[in-house]
Amino acid sequence: MSANGQIIPSSLSISDLPWQIRWDQDKCTLCGSCTAVCPVNAIELGVFRKREITAGLGLAEKPSSSQSIRYGIRQRTSPAYACVGCAMCSMVCPNDAISPVRNDGSDKLRYHINQGGQPRSRGGRRNDPSGLLDQIKFIRISMLTDPALDAGRHTFDVNTLLGRVLEPRDALKHQREHGWMPPVREIYPLVIGGMSFGALSPTMWEGLQMGVAYLNEEMGMPVRICTGEGGCPPRLLRSRFLKYVILQIASGYFGWDEIIHAIPEMKEDPCAIEIKYGQGAKPGDGGLLMWHKVNRLIAAIRGVPERVSLPSPPTHQTQYSIEESVAKMIQSMSMAWGFRVPVYPKISATSTSLAVLNNLTRNPYAAGLAIDGEDGGTGAAYNVSMNHMGHPIASNLRDCYLNLVKVGKQNEIPLFAGGGVGKNGNLAANAAALIMMGASGVQTGKYIMQAAAGCLGSEQDRCNICNIGLCPKGIASQDPRIYRRLDAEKVAERVVDLYLAFDMELRKILAPLGRSTSLPIGMSDALGINDYHAAERLGIRYVV
Amino acid sequence: MQNTKPLIIEGRDSEGIRLESRLLEEHIQEAVNGGVRHLEIRAAGQHGIGGRLWQAGEPVKIRIEGTPGQRLGSFGYPNTEIEVMGSASEDTGWLNAGATILIHGNAGNGTCNGMAQGKVWVAGSVGSRSMTMTKRNPRFEPPELWVLGSAGDFFGEFMAGGKAVICGWQPQNPANVLGHRPMVGMVGGQVFFRGPMDGFSQADARMVPIEEEDWIWLKKGLSDFLLKIQKPELYDILCVREDWQCLTARSPMEKRETERRSMADFRKNMWEGELGKGGLIGDLTDLDMSPIPLITRGELRRFVPVWENRKYKAPCEGTCPTGIPVQQRWQLIREGRMDEAVDMALSYTPFPATVCGYLCPNPCMGACTRSSAFMAPVDIKPLGKASLAALTPVFPAIKGRKVAVVGGGPAGISVAWQLRSQGHDVVILDRSEVLGGKMRSVIPESRIPQEVLTKELERVAEIIPHIHLKQSLTRKDVERLKTDHDHIIIATGASSPRRLAVEGGERQITSLDFLEQAKANALKPGKNVVIIGAGNVGCDVATEAKRLGAENITLIDIQKPAAFGVEREEAEKAGAVFRWPCFTKALTKDGVLLENDELIPADTIVAAIGDMAVLDFLPETVVVEKGRIRVNEYGQTTDAKIFAIGDMVGQGLITDAIGAGRRTAQAICDMAEGRLPEMDTREILKLERVHLEYFDPRIPPKEDLGGCGSQCASCGNCRDCGICVAVCPGAAISRKDLGKNSFSYEVDAKLCIACGFCAGACPCGVWDLHPAVPIG
Repeated sequence: MSANGQIIPSSLSISDLPWQIRWDQDKCTLCGSCTAVCPVNAIELGVFRKREITAGLGLAEKPSSSQSIRYGIRQRTSPAYACVGCAMCSMVCPNDAISPVRNDGSDKLRYHINQGGQPRSRGGRRNDPSGLLDQIKFIRISMLTDPALDAGRHTFDVNTLLGRVLEPRDALKHQREHGWMPPVREIYPLVIGGMSFGALSPTMWEGLQMGVAYLNEEMGMPVRICTGEGGCPPRLLRSRFLKYVILQIASGYFGWDEIIHAIPEMKEDPCAIEIKYGQGAKPGDGGLLMWHKVNRLIAAIRGVPERVSLPSPPTHQTQYSIEESVAKMIQSMSMAWGFRVPVYPKISATSTSLAVLNNLTRNPYAAGLAIDGEDGGTGAAYNVSMNHMGHPIASNLRDCYLNLVKVGKQNEIPLFAGGGVGKNGNLAANAAALIMMGASGVQTGKYIMQAAAGCLGSEQDRCNICNIGLCPKGIASQDPRIYRRLDAEKVAERVVDLYLAFDMELRKILAPLGRSTSLPIGMSDALGINDYHAAERLGIRYVV
Repeated sequence: MQNTKPLIIEGRDSEGIRLESRLLEEHIQEAVNGGVRHLEIRAAGQHGIGGRLWQAGEPVKIRIEGTPGQRLGSFGYPNTEIEVMGSASEDTGWLNAGATILIHGNAGNGTCNGMAQGKVWVAGSVGSRSMTMTKRNPRFEPPELWVLGSAGDFFGEFMAGGKAVICGWQPQNPANVLGHRPMVGMVGGQVFFRGPMDGFSQADARMVPIEEEDWIWLKKGLSDFLLKIQKPELYDILCVREDWQCLTARSPMEKRETERRSMADFRKNMWEGELGKGGLIGDLTDLDMSPIPLITRGELRRFVPVWENRKYKAPCEGTCPTGIPVQQRWQLIREGRMDEAVDMALSYTPFPATVCGYLCPNPCMGACTRSSAFMAPVDIKPLGKASLAALTPVFPAIKGRKVAVVGGGPAGISVAWQLRSQGHDVVILDRSEVLGGKMRSVIPESRIPQEVLTKELERVAEIIPHIHLKQSLTRKDVERLKTDHDHIIIATGASSPRRLAVEGGERQITSLDFLEQAKANALKPGKNVVIIGAGNVGCDVATEAKRLGAENITLIDIQKPAAFGVEREEAEKAGAVFRWPCFTKALTKDGVLLENDELIPADTIVAAIGDMAVLDFLPETVVVEKGRIRVNEYGQTTDAKIFAIGDMVGQGLITDAIGAGRRTAQAICDMAEGRLPEMDTREILKLERVHLEYFDPRIPPKEDLGGCGSQCASCGNCRDCGICVAVCPGAAISRKDLGKNSFSYEVDAKLCIACGFCAGACPCGVWDLHPAVPIG
């Protein structure tokens, strides 16, 4: 700021910012790449006046003062232009002259991200690096006691079931008496969770879908991906790839007319229908697509005007009780495909999850329940919702599973867990822990973004600007100038890579347990944790 | 050796009880150590028979009747030859290091597991995980396994060396002689097999043609094998080259070659094959989706630099109530165009010397960007004074609207000057014989040299006709003016002084009267003067009182004195004392009596508490609210024909009045041309866009025009320095000469990466980055 300038309460210095730009004058060639690429214009060319005072030894000559001008990269300090730590400057710098550095000491920006009375909203995650799932260990290592299996050479069947799995006797009875059996899908237990066309860029979305198609058709892995709430491109709806897709319907009902129009022309039924009631990252909030991202294409697919923010209501608007919500929606969605497609709700993990689950057990059309924990990610939400709302997935899932065990339906209604699976990179371990606590499968989003597309977000509030369409990697942007940075084909390759690696890691966990013919759903005797209270709460072993 | 009769070792004791493996092993070792080289073991399931017989140092032959246990021949030595008359259990030849083992029946699971040397012949089939983990040590011949029948599941796992031959004769599963998932993890060796099979680990092994050398080896080995198992008659059946196939390990290089189908191929043939060209949304958009780099040029830039020369007002221009673009004048001076810089003033004000040079407190300097960095503002006073020499412009012939301006003060003269300059027919009506209003009649000569004011007023008089009214205007006069003119502009100022309503009020003289009389030297104020109202007018009174001989001058006010600037300085120089808060109770013959009964002695008491506009002559169509005429932004009253400007509307600086005149004139010109009046809505350039780093803060304020011009930051006004051209990393910026002292700077989009360096470096804040027009 200027020497004579007046400070205002939100005047910050570089020392007050959470991310500080370190810049090396000696290395910099002033090529302009860093300022050109910075998504939030946090850096600019600075003009600096350098003063030099010279005085001779013995003061023989008259001392003098001279001034010169130099140029360099300067960080802006206004909250509106605060560095987000994405480090794209480092990425493009030919000389390694610049990088953001996390300042954990005195972040004062957090007190000024509410300018104009508008609390901060952002994309990303909870900004909490800890995670209970990472603490869980697999303690049952069957070297000699069970058939010791070799993850590499043995064949494993790790697929899971999505749908109401009735005992053969009940199924036959159902068929005989009602002429109908609940549809069940055999799918891979790692599902790509709902991320909408709109939240994600076209290149990202296409890359994910292409990767999933490849895994199914080239690798024989029945991987499924959920559309999220934003409709589905008409071509995909009319393709054979639709069977790899779980269509999501949420409270905004975006894009459903296109889906309805496509039904008569569908070559394949979709894998399933997910009814989104809640999202782990921001429970109680509906979807939110900020106007930045609603361009012509997105507007067309969603059936809305261009450049308007699209908040979805926090709940489906015409449903006023749990019975009605669940029954009415499941009925409608089942009916749309002649009861051939499994339909299940997805809820945010909550202390009331059991109520939903109990309701589902009495509904013969309910194909499962997906529960999304607090560590889930989102493209846009209020900071406070993301950081402070929600329920951890582990205990919520465990309660639900044990409740199913109590009523004898643990093999009948599959539970899918999500929210923080792989948040610290331990995708297979987290997934296996949830499966052994009772999940039939897991959903993940953030891990996919990071592994398949190089998302820069971290639990230290790095980047997290998915909401404003400036995603520096082109993952969560609708601006072709940005999303064309991302090559759908390369995303697809990475999806395949990460699934193959996950598969191997999962087998590495399952093999020592002596399990190769089915997923060890609910095999909680294999789990241990170095936290007495967590062990007690989850009903797993306390190990030290 | 064949001729020697074998030593028989029983696997059971005399009572038929099975010997422990440990005891049988002891018996065998004892016998061999005792020189026996030919043994017959009648086995009863003992473990590890036939291994570890190195101490013999010469060939040892072991024939096994009965049932051998697991790990027959394990740790076998090259001197050992084992023949099993029936079948063998699991792990036959485990870690075999050279023994030959002939089995006339079947061999169980794990046959040859970990074998590194030696040969194993099996006349039947082998169980699962046979020939697994086998090795090849270059010091020895590779291990061999010959099987007449078939192999069990997971054959050859992690096989690292050796040769296996599966003849497929009467296999256990006629459809598959190699079992389920053979060759997983194979890294070395060869497997020759005859008969059908159901796949193998493609990642690890590959099928190769049988080379001549291998075929010769195979034929020879087959012949030996069939003789050993006493089935030579099969030779002709088995020895058909076309029936045989060979599996060998892939090299690490070959393993890489077996990578999955390329995604590019999948995309082209499968993905777009199903969805159509363009993939997922190829039908919805024709936008190019091909990958682009992080740094882009042309249409793909997220921002574009724009040369915003004069798009924003400089702070000086923006705060000058008259609206003079001071920064442009300094630029002309820098360019050596001194005359133009001076003459330019007259397009904005008829009083550049009087006002800018003397009377104005110069808000332009107060707002000067340089002040934001503790640097002295560029001094406008010398430039103002120099404008006395400005040439009177040649105005166009009269052809436009007929306008009467009532009041010949700064506001009236300004509007008349501007209208005349645009060719309108304008006349000023004033009560005085000489134009100039309070500038001429009230403001002391100490503040404005009379010759300066006179010269500028003469310049006005040369051009603008003036009617001396000699009396106050009445409402009827105004109505008449209205019918004779297109517009009337009322600029009669605040001509009615406010008087103090206290006891003895008749003893006061108003500041207006005092200053008028003082200027005419028609007043002797006496020794003691008290001025009620310590504003700038009060200060002028004090200065004049001093000039006229007053000794004790006191300015009193009910609040902190509002006086500032030159006026206050002059008053203080005159020895005036400022006192506040003082509440006047009465005026007496001795002086001013305050509420607290203090008497301030005074020979003359001056009330300097403001002047009010006289409004009684205005027609009823002109709405007056709270003593003020209601006007819009360009001075139009509720009567569309009548405008009101200057102190009539609200008291202000002289420059405010001049500016109001300019705006009204502009509005009338717009109306004359059938346009809605358009005001200058340009905003003031944001301070942070200007870079004062280019200036040395130690350079003291300059007084000469050249010095002032050099230190002006030229806010928002391109100084044509070329820094942008120099700083642009892509050399995308160039200067374009437009002729007539005009130029522009342009950006070549093909070279620009939108780094914003031009905006960052521009001393004047002319360059800015704008978001590019959205695509898609």
